[in-house]
Amino acid sequence: PPGAGAAYRPEIQEEELRRFTARVSAVLQSPEPGPEAVDALQRLHLTVAATKYPRKLDGKFVELLQTVLCSPKSPEQIQVLCAAILREMSPCNDLILSCDEIQDTKLLSLVSSVLLAQGEVAAVGQRVVKVLERRLPEGQSARFLLPVLANVISLSPESLTEEQTNVVSKKLADWLRYASIQQGVAQPSGGFFSSPRTKQPAPITEVDGTVATDFFTVLSVAQHYTQDQWLNMQTFSMLRKWLLCYGGKELNTLNPAGMDRCVTSMVPTTGTAGRLLPPRERLRDKAFEYCQRLIEQSNRRPLKKDDGDLQKACLIEAVTIMDIICKQDSSYVCRAVSFLKILHSRICGDATYARALLPIAQFFLNHSKLAAVDSDAIYKHLFTDIPAQLFHNPSLAFEFVQFCKDNSQLFTDSSSIFRQSFPNLFKFLAWNSPPLISEFVDLLPFLLDAGTTIEIFHLLLDLPCLTAALDIQLRAASLPASEKAGGDPAGKPATCLEAFRHPLYKSMFQYLLRTKSAPQDAPESLVPLRQLLGALAGSPRVVQCAETVPVLLELFFRVVAEFADGSLINQLVVLLLQRSDQLYEIPAFKEDVYRVLGSQLAVLCSLRPALVVELSTEILEFSGAVSNIQSKEAIFTHMAWAVGEYLSVSYDKRCTVEQITRFFETLEAVLFEITQLRPQASTPSCAPRAISVLMATLTKLAARSQDLIPRVSMFLSKMRTFVQSPAATSVYCEEDLEEILIRATELMNLLKMPSVAQFVFTPPQASSRFQREVNDSLPLALRMVTQFLEPAPGSMPV
Amino acid sequence: MVRAFVLLAPGGPAGHAPCRVLYARTFGTPAGTAPGGPRQRLCRKEQLLVVARQVASQCQLLQSSLGCLSSPQLPQLPDELMSLQDAPGGLFQMPPGDPFPEGVTVVWLSVLALAFALVCEPQENLSLAEITLRRLAPRLLLSLRLLGPGADVLLRPDAADGLLDRLLPHGQMLFLNEHFLQAMDRDMGIKTYH
Repeated sequence: PPGAGAAYRPEIQEEELRRFTARVSAVLQSPEPGPEAVDALQRLHLTVAATKYPRKLDGKFVELLQTVLCSPKSPEQIQVLCAAILREMSPCNDLILSCDEIQDTKLLSLVSSVLLAQGEVAAVGQRVVKVLERRLPEGQSARFLLPVLANVISLSPESLTEEQTNVVSKKLADWLRYASIQQGVAQPSGGFFSSPRTKQPAPITEVDGTVATDFFTVLSVAQHYTQDQWLNMQTFSMLRKWLLCYGGKELNTLNPAGMDRCVTSMVPTTGTAGRLLPPRERLRDKAFEYCQRLIEQSNRRPLKKDDGDLQKACLIEAVTIMDIICKQDSSYVCRAVSFLKILHSRICGDATYARALLPIAQFFLNHSKLAAVDSDAIYKHLFTDIPAQLFHNPSLAFEFVQFCKDNSQLFTDSSSIFRQSFPNLFKFLAWNSPPLISEFVDLLPFLLDAGTTIEIFHLLLDLPCLTAALDIQLRAASLPASEKAGGDPAGKPATCLEAFRHPLYKSMFQYLLRTKSAPQDAPESLVPLRQLLGALAGSPRVVQCAETVPVLLELFFRVVAEFADGSLINQLVVLLLQRSDQLYEIPAFKEDVYRVLGSQLAVLCSLRPALVVELSTEILEFSGAVSNIQSKEAIFTHMAWAVGEYLSVSYDKRCTVEQITRFFETLEAVLFEITQLRPQASTPSCAPRAISVLMATLTKLAARSQDLIPRVSMFLSKMRTFVQSPAATSVYCEEDLEEILIRATELMNLLKMPSVAQFVFTPPQASSRFQREVNDSLPLALRMVTQFLEPAPGSMPV
Repeated sequence: MVRAFVLLAPGGPAGHAPCRVLYARTFGTPAGTAPGGPRQRLCRKEQLLVVARQVASQCQLLQSSLGCLSSPQLPQLPDELMSLQDAPGGLFQMPPGDPFPEGVTVVWLSVLALAFALVCEPQENLSLAEITLRRLAPRLLLSLRLLGPGADVLLRPDAADGLLDRLLPHGQMLFLNEHFLQAMDRDMGIKTYH
């Protein structure tokens, strides 16, 4: 065929486009447009679709496309292509398309797709309803119009009047309930094997092959389907949408006000009485019946395996529709409750039905109060068993987390099964990190309160370990029974898999994999388990999970800062320092976590400055360990900064001179060790920033306890020698060394005026914006003081 | 309802082949969308590209976590419908405003070097969406010969439209049991071996 593939360039110029559309025009207007027309239209579509900015097509040409589209004589393929081009161009001012004259329902559907793309929703809605209202001519089927209607109401429900929705509701109810229960017959095709007389139509069957004894539904089986059976399928497919839009607008006139027990609501809704119901209520009634039948039908074992998937989808839809119906008319609640309880006990042990448990639970959350029914067992099973067994099912994981988000108010009650199950919920995230991280960012705040803070802190830091443990759990479960014994309990396990049931590790695994919040059961230490799981630290799933932790940690601290009291903040700081030694061994993970912990440490200290005094033992221990400055630079630096900032009597009256001196000596020792002129192999190298912060902190402390000033000044004066030494120049770059020297000089100069230094370094607590601005401009202040002290440039201390 | 269907080539990891939208279909313009002519059209195209990129990213991440190497090649083009029971796929949400005014859920499926995605309204029946995708994909692969060399899916929008008009008319997902599906395949002239 001409113009196939490689030689064709979509980005053709305007002139070429005009020539091309002229050719297309000619071809389209020929008496019998054939493959050449098809090919031309396909290429035109590509041209129009390929660019981000629209190609302008001649108004007359657009009109031609519309004419060809609407003409019943045009071949179907050409009509489809014209519609595709017109849609691709929409919104288009040259479109004068109207569906008012179109009788053929298939064509009406096609034309509607163009009009809906143009935004002409109301016009389409009106036309479709008009056609549906009347009896359709022979050979025409309403089944092509129902999807159009569904699209109309989802784009703009106000397109239809109440009268129109009533008319349609009536038809929908009939199509739902009264489709033929005989199979259709094959279209007569003539030929050798066609039988001269029509065969007796067979009855429809269920998916398991038995003959159906009740009305037709989407789960009914036939070799050929009749038009009304197609309509039945289409109707059910749009039923939920229709009921949501138009099922509940009015006041519920069948339920007298003040009724709060459904025992007394015995409204006759079935049988002949059903005919007396107004259209909305009648549809509700037929829909409820249909859903009940579907739920029963889903109990059958299908002959075709793939029908099993549809059964489950139907089950979910049926329960959801029942939920909607009960919201719109509470007289249905009693019947629904008993029915769904039976359904629940039928499927709750079957893992393949797990996704259906969610709409069932949602139903009970919405209605069990009205029915005075205890559904705690349902929630308990859902939150305790399902995540533990099926965390690895990504669809279930997604829907379960959505369920939690939709019902987030459930988590506010700290004693509820929902809140208590958060360790289980995190399994979904640990295993399916990329799609669920943004969902958990939304969910985490609801899980956090004073009671869960500490446990969640640990859990977040160990989230990648959880991934690894889940991996092992899955592998252990798939082992044949003979191998499950767990190896020799006396010896050490050789692999992670062996360790899973080994007495040394078993309880640690069990704690990590717990289904409920249990802070009191935490083992002494998970360090051995973390080390063991190090073998899995490179697994892609573990790494993907590790990447989510920094984000969650930042959010964690932000939320906790809003409610934490002094005691909790103190606890967190102590744990933060402890856990910094106990992280899963993934280098990039640890770096990121240190970065977050460091900056959040500073935030916590700013919220509660007194903790520097209250936790002086732990802080001294951490700050005094020289290795910390290298391995956990971010945390160390922020800790040192916080000490300089907040260890002061103006933040806590209990701050003594002895304490200041003790901190001073500890930090001085560290700074001394890392700025040695003759470093040993064991001397850690550290970031220049750490050196600067240590110098500044020591200076600040000295300003508050002026006996220390001579020591600091001498130390600072030695920095010039350090900066010039081979030990330093071989490790640090020139800019960094210069920066260190400048900072040392500034600090020294400041100390020459002790009262100024004291003022600069120990401002009153910043309670006003002005004072906060003073604090923020500290470096500027330092520079100004330095210039004041050194009117002549170049005069540096020896 | 489904707001859009996207067929894309996810491309390689960052830096390699970029993600490309091969075919996309939206179902109606929401009322109240600012009528803006070219701008509206551009906006639509960009929204779909954002979806495609997100699908590509999720696809690559899932394949890496499953330990899949780069897409294997089929020894020959399938001439019947493939079963996609084990094809990797997933679900994710896109929040309101990014990129659509209302939040959406995206259901996706990947087959070799291609991916298929449905952009669904919130609270949609996601089980049915997955079933719908697993039916659309092999039929598209077959009728558009998407896995062959020189596959000109871009040049045959009518074939893709035809399939969508039957299996996902106007974005309406259908509860089709296997026999209904068989009847539809007969209508479309697709030979299947049920």
